[in-house]
Amino acid sequence: MDPKSKKILLVEDEDFIRDLYVRQLTKAGFLVKSAVDGQSGLTMLKAEPFDLLLLDIMLPGMNGLQLLREFKTQNPNSPMITILLTNLGQEAVIKEGFELGAQAYLIKASYTPDQVVNEVKNALFGSQSPTPPQPAPTQ
Amino acid sequence: MKNLLLIKIILILSLGITLPLSVSLLLTGSPLLARNLVITALVGGVAVVICSVSSFIFLKPLRDLINSAKRFGEGNFNERVDIRSDDEFEEVGNYFNQMADKLSQTFQKLEKDTQTAIAEKNKLSEVLSSIVDGIIAVDFNKNIILINRAAEQITGYTEGELQGQKVDQLIHLFVDTEEILPKTYCQVNFTKAAKLIGKEGKQTRVNLTTAKVGETQQTTLSCILILHDLSKEEELERMKLDFVSMVSHELKTPLTSIIGYLSVFTNENKGKLPKEELDLIDRSFIAARELLILIQNILNVNKIEREEMSVSAEPMDYLPILSKTIEDLKNQANQKNIVLNLNIPEGSLPKVLADPVRMGEVLTNLLANAITYTNPGGKVEVITQLSPNEVTTVISDNGVGIPKEAIPHLFNKFFRVSNQTQRASKGTGLGLYIAKSIVEKLGGKIWVESEFGKGTRFSFTLPVATISSGVVDSSRFVGQEIQAGGLNY
Repeated sequence: MDPKSKKILLVEDEDFIRDLYVRQLTKAGFLVKSAVDGQSGLTMLKAEPFDLLLLDIMLPGMNGLQLLREFKTQNPNSPMITILLTNLGQEAVIKEGFELGAQAYLIKASYTPDQVVNEVKNALFGSQSPTPPQPAPTQ
Repeated sequence: MKNLLLIKIILILSLGITLPLSVSLLLTGSPLLARNLVITALVGGVAVVICSVSSFIFLKPLRDLINSAKRFGEGNFNERVDIRSDDEFEEVGNYFNQMADKLSQTFQKLEKDTQTAIAEKNKLSEVLSSIVDGIIAVDFNKNIILINRAAEQITGYTEGELQGQKVDQLIHLFVDTEEILPKTYCQVNFTKAAKLIGKEGKQTRVNLTTAKVGETQQTTLSCILILHDLSKEEELERMKLDFVSMVSHELKTPLTSIIGYLSVFTNENKGKLPKEELDLIDRSFIAARELLILIQNILNVNKIEREEMSVSAEPMDYLPILSKTIEDLKNQANQKNIVLNLNIPEGSLPKVLADPVRMGEVLTNLLANAITYTNPGGKVEVITQLSPNEVTTVISDNGVGIPKEAIPHLFNKFFRVSNQTQRASKGTGLGLYIAKSIVEKLGGKIWVESEFGKGTRFSFTLPVATISSGVVDSSRFVGQEIQAGGLNY
């Protein structure tokens, strides 16, 4: 389990939240890159492979689902794990996210950054030790 | 029927023959033979001249008719003849004019009809191309006979590529993972949300509505497909949010940062700062989390009121949700020196049929209440009990308890227990109302046991997920919203 070998792309338009997640993920040892909107996120995805995508849904211009759709159409066999971040609770949107291949979604406000880092670790390496109990990726 | 022309011809001929003859007869009495010949020749010449001129005059109408007919035939539809020779030529002339009138009218009408048809066709084209939804018309052999611009955009094909082709060869429609074929969807009334795959794998989520058309004489039209692009609706989802939903989403954004930064600060400075100063941050964090619960409750009540509260029941691991909720409320409990425990039976918990986000909200509400209404030094425990079909969760505290008269009203909206302690004013009275709505929507029950001054036990059940129930129920909860194309906030 070596975080250093894993590359993560975070697409999030809120500066404070993005900076905080990048900070915590970097501290946990991951290689983190970030984008502030859908279009630049897609450009970065095309430029190099990532192991995990943390994707906000509500983005200016191209939203997270559109990004995911574009990416999956061109890269249907990509092994990249996608975790959706959102403060929305729209079931239909989330269901579409899963249909487009996302593995999990998190309600941003309900997860502290460290809990998000744990989710990322779970997604990449499988469940961690049983105590303290870790929240498993919600499906 | 006039016979005058005939009479005229006879007259002329007779004149031409008899005149020279008569004159020469009159003159044969004279022995001057040579003079007779000359005179006969002269008279004959005169007769010929008279005949020619007369024929010329008589046949003029015929010439007029020939010229007019020629010009009319060349396309000069205003051409008419004016023959007043008072004979058969005049009759022909009149009939010619009538025919010319009729033809002229017919041509004019034809031209007008053509113009109208072109105008109608243009109007139809304009209307079709301005319709936002894609329209594809298909004949009995499933060949595409009409397509509008929106359909071109959705499918990725041009009209040229689609015209005349079989619709199911170029355009594929999937509901979940199954393809649906024209024989399925070309029915009287068919509406379904589907995934459309067009040119080169272009995917679009659409709401497909079809109408089967009866056979008419002039067309071979059989079926019309209307493709409503759902992906656009997702782009416009912000605008479709009602005020409360939008506000609560906006409120959560800065709150996420507040909770996030405070939590990270606390974790990184636990050993470095004195407890008193850490406490300043800790309390800010707790207050922010309370604010989050409030916002979630407001949003949920709004949803319930508008009957838009839906749950996505899926088989899920229950333990992680329980642990996370307890972890989230540890700060609050610690602040009041309340012990917060999770008590689960030995072995693992089975999967339950529930919605992780909603369950989180229910547990958070109940636990937060327990902590609020328990005095410092008290104890709050979360216990789970297993039975064959359900998992019962009990949140038990040794707090202030609930007066007996309040118990029947506890789950009502805005109900708050009024008692002498100052805690009564806290809260909006929404938490239990929401918890009840969610639990019942998931097929569970919720109830309370309490003794005033001793403590309270809130209990609710969740169905255990079996393989078949998982599949059936989750489509029941989620399917309709998706199929109707309606988004749910």
